[in-house]
Amino acid sequence: MNRESAHALFDAVFGGGQATLATLPILMVSAGVVILMLSDVIKPSALARKAIFAATLGAGFAACAKVLSDPPGLVLGDTFIATRATAVWGFLFLTGTGLAWVFSQGYYGRADSPHKTEHDLLLLIAPVGMMMMVGARDLIVFFIGLELLSIPLYALAAFRRSQAKSVEAGLKYFLLGAFSTGFFLYGSALLYASTGTLSLTELSAAAPSVLADPLALGGVALIAASLFFKISVFPFHLWVPDVYQGSPTPVTALMATGTKAAAFGFLVPASFLLPSSAAPLIAGIALITMALGNLGALVQSDLKRMLAYSAVAHAGTLLLVLAGTLTTGGPTGDATDAVLFYMAAYVFTAGGAFGLICVLEKGGEGATSLDRLRGLAQRKPGMAAALALFMLSLGGIPATGGFLGKWFVFSVLVNAEMIGVAIAGALLSVIALGYYLRVIVVIYMQESDGVAEDDIVLSPAGSGLATALCCAGVLLLGVAPQWFLSWLG
Amino acid sequence: MLTLLTLLPLLGALLLTVVPRERTGLMLNLAFFTTGVVAVLGVALLTGFDAGTAAFQSTVDAAWFQLPGTDIEARFALGVDGLSILMVGLTAILMPLVLLSATSHVSHRMREFLVWMLVMETGMMGVFLATDLILFYVFWEVSLVPLYFILGIWGGDRRLYATVKFFLYTVAGSLVMLVGVLALIYGAGTTDITQLITHASTLPLATQSWIFLTFALAFSIKVPVLPFHTWLADAHTEAPTSGSVLLAGVLLKMGIYGLLRFGLQMFPAASVQWSWLFMALGAIGIVYGAFLAMAQKDLKRLVACSSVSHLGFCVLGLFALTQAGVRGSILQMVNHGLSTGLLFLLVGMIYERRHTRAIDQFGGLAASMPIFAFFLVFTVLSSVGLPGLNGFVGEYLILLGSFQASPLWATIGVTGVIFGAVYLLSATRRVLFGSITNEANREVSDLSLREVGLMVPLVLLCVWIGVRPTTFTDLTSKSIDQVCENLERAQVRLAASETTTPTQTAALAPKREL
Repeated sequence: MNRESAHALFDAVFGGGQATLATLPILMVSAGVVILMLSDVIKPSALARKAIFAATLGAGFAACAKVLSDPPGLVLGDTFIATRATAVWGFLFLTGTGLAWVFSQGYYGRADSPHKTEHDLLLLIAPVGMMMMVGARDLIVFFIGLELLSIPLYALAAFRRSQAKSVEAGLKYFLLGAFSTGFFLYGSALLYASTGTLSLTELSAAAPSVLADPLALGGVALIAASLFFKISVFPFHLWVPDVYQGSPTPVTALMATGTKAAAFGFLVPASFLLPSSAAPLIAGIALITMALGNLGALVQSDLKRMLAYSAVAHAGTLLLVLAGTLTTGGPTGDATDAVLFYMAAYVFTAGGAFGLICVLEKGGEGATSLDRLRGLAQRKPGMAAALALFMLSLGGIPATGGFLGKWFVFSVLVNAEMIGVAIAGALLSVIALGYYLRVIVVIYMQESDGVAEDDIVLSPAGSGLATALCCAGVLLLGVAPQWFLSWLG
Repeated sequence: MLTLLTLLPLLGALLLTVVPRERTGLMLNLAFFTTGVVAVLGVALLTGFDAGTAAFQSTVDAAWFQLPGTDIEARFALGVDGLSILMVGLTAILMPLVLLSATSHVSHRMREFLVWMLVMETGMMGVFLATDLILFYVFWEVSLVPLYFILGIWGGDRRLYATVKFFLYTVAGSLVMLVGVLALIYGAGTTDITQLITHASTLPLATQSWIFLTFALAFSIKVPVLPFHTWLADAHTEAPTSGSVLLAGVLLKMGIYGLLRFGLQMFPAASVQWSWLFMALGAIGIVYGAFLAMAQKDLKRLVACSSVSHLGFCVLGLFALTQAGVRGSILQMVNHGLSTGLLFLLVGMIYERRHTRAIDQFGGLAASMPIFAFFLVFTVLSSVGLPGLNGFVGEYLILLGSFQASPLWATIGVTGVIFGAVYLLSATRRVLFGSITNEANREVSDLSLREVGLMVPLVLLCVWIGVRPTTFTDLTSKSIDQVCENLERAQVRLAASETTTPTQTAALAPKREL
């Protein structure tokens, strides 16, 4: 083979410089991970470590912006795709990671603090995995992304080693997560045995005749089960309350926003794998998930556990989009946009809400119980207003991002003419308002009965800034969403 | 101008948040100034209104955002027409008076109270002025939040129960309506209400019908129409006086306005098809509300139940689908806002003095509070429809209009007028007249200048409407004419299709029997 044809072959596989551009966000963040890892040898100062982390996030954002301005499309032998949507997903993952990181400052007690670098390192690997998941056009690439995301989170969930609950959460998450990734691999193997390919591009060309083979159908079912575990929908949602509550809250925030987003980012474009006759099943699962999540949250007296159940309900709502795309026969632009917008609002809302829980948790055992928040509006008006705003956004009240997210999700359903499902979903989200409003009742409408006056301190300064950023994000997405929508094209 | 009307209160609310904590006086002045400017603008809008056209006037239109995956553009579009002008005026005039009344019963957390009041004004104005369906929906739901806080923080003993019940009831309706809104917008490819009205009539009758029902559910809960009325009594009873006045004066009217704009105007055929149901519910509501009111021992609860009865008139008139009925219904919205608003103010005033609202605690107040007695008697007479005052004109038009459509329900409605006189007059007698049985009533101070001052504008309006209603009805007539023309056309078309496909119009059967 002469030199020129070798070049041609290289370009054919790697798409010239396009491949570098497409994977630039992943490369940038990975480079940051490596630098952070190496720097640990010389025991850098806390400031230097923070600088590296922040610079990595910044480089990641810049790289995503580059992709957004000129999306390269399919690269690397059609195994990876970089579109405007994946670039926006990248923004969301990096924002979620950044929020988790800011709120983790000063969160851990003395017993866990020697491992700060490891913590930051693990945290930074997660978005690499997420970006890989949403860009994957090949099941193996997706699997690598999934593992890159999951393994750091297993370790992070158990990061507060001095607390039994945290270790329990880590173990639970790991055992069940290992099962689910096992399902994914087994499903991929069955699919490969039946079709001889793992490329989504080829599979989508061959669909839906592929699914005529029961072997392939079994494979798809296993893959779906594994993904349903990651997005935590019925009947694979039972781990969520314990793991979310036991994990360190910054990690919970990342699980709630990032993992779910990444799995949905893959699931919607890959929905062609599912037969369209599965739509009623998916819609049923989604509605049951909403019901279980909302009813579970309704009886909680602890804010963190309540938000864990609410995260399940939100996963159910998003799954409705999948049911809609299956009915219309394939993913449409507005379905992807709906999921993206919904998750964008959710990243800011849940990120901010879990962030405030981090702040509360410095008060020790039972610090996140609702009782402690009585009369918060009188003591800490700013924090109370932020928390109330997040609750309204989670409940989907207008002028917040949560409302438009819900609007777009239900519009997918209505366009698919699933009116009954839409009305059922709408009514189930009324239950959700029952507990979101309860939080507002507690903080605004009840008097604090002599609990320690000023034990809630919004510190360090970064938490305050991050909370303000989340509020701004929630409001901007709700009132003036055009800037975000224009990114989606 | 409409942008100012809508957003100025919000701006005032934002400014309020930065006023230093201890400057309560400054906060109050700021709030009065804001609502005062809005009131002046509102009056200017009323006087400058061109009654010669049915189209939206003083329109504002700005790009907002594009719905993803489509070329549908949501716009920040405002406008006013004959259907909304009176409510806009009422809201603008009522707000400063309500704030003035609040200075005596709101003593703690003044800043938050004023902020929520101003946000509420933005929400209410937005609902009446929006000419973009998405914008309307946003304002519609946003207006829930301030009242939720006002009820929950400054309400009575059972305020938490009342406020959550209020919110969940209304939001359940709104979310069902959301599905209808989405179907309508994505089906038509536009969010502009004028274009949607044109588009809606081209839809198949079944589609019109179900979308109409989702809208009607949300609005019926808000009004509230009969089976959904239970939240209202609790909310009214627990709300602070200012909250009750706004609830009765404006917020409930959003429901009637919705039925008018998105029922009669947007879905004439479906309105014809379902008019029997709403006329029945309206008429039964009139009588049922009156019976409820008769049984009340608490003065405020009595007024709340009378609201159910009076709003029954509005629904009955609206779904009579005749010119007189619709015209009376719009006028009655204003009347009810004025007279029930006054009633709540008066009840609040004696509650502040006696800290009770139980009717049997009073008696003979006319001797110790002659000015109060005058206002109460005046308001009650206006409320029961004494000719020469505002209530008479509205009720007369409604009953006339509904008699043309259905003598049965009109007759049932008429009995409501009698019952209304029974419970209101007997309550007045027990509160004001007779001998003083409870010594506490002997020492009660009469109304202050502030209290008289804030009621005088409302009283004058009551007389004005009673004596010369055409000043107000003329503003609405063009728009109503247009709505009624479309209704007639729909009626004719339905009657034509009835002869060809009898099964399709089975729902019309009960109407024919009447």
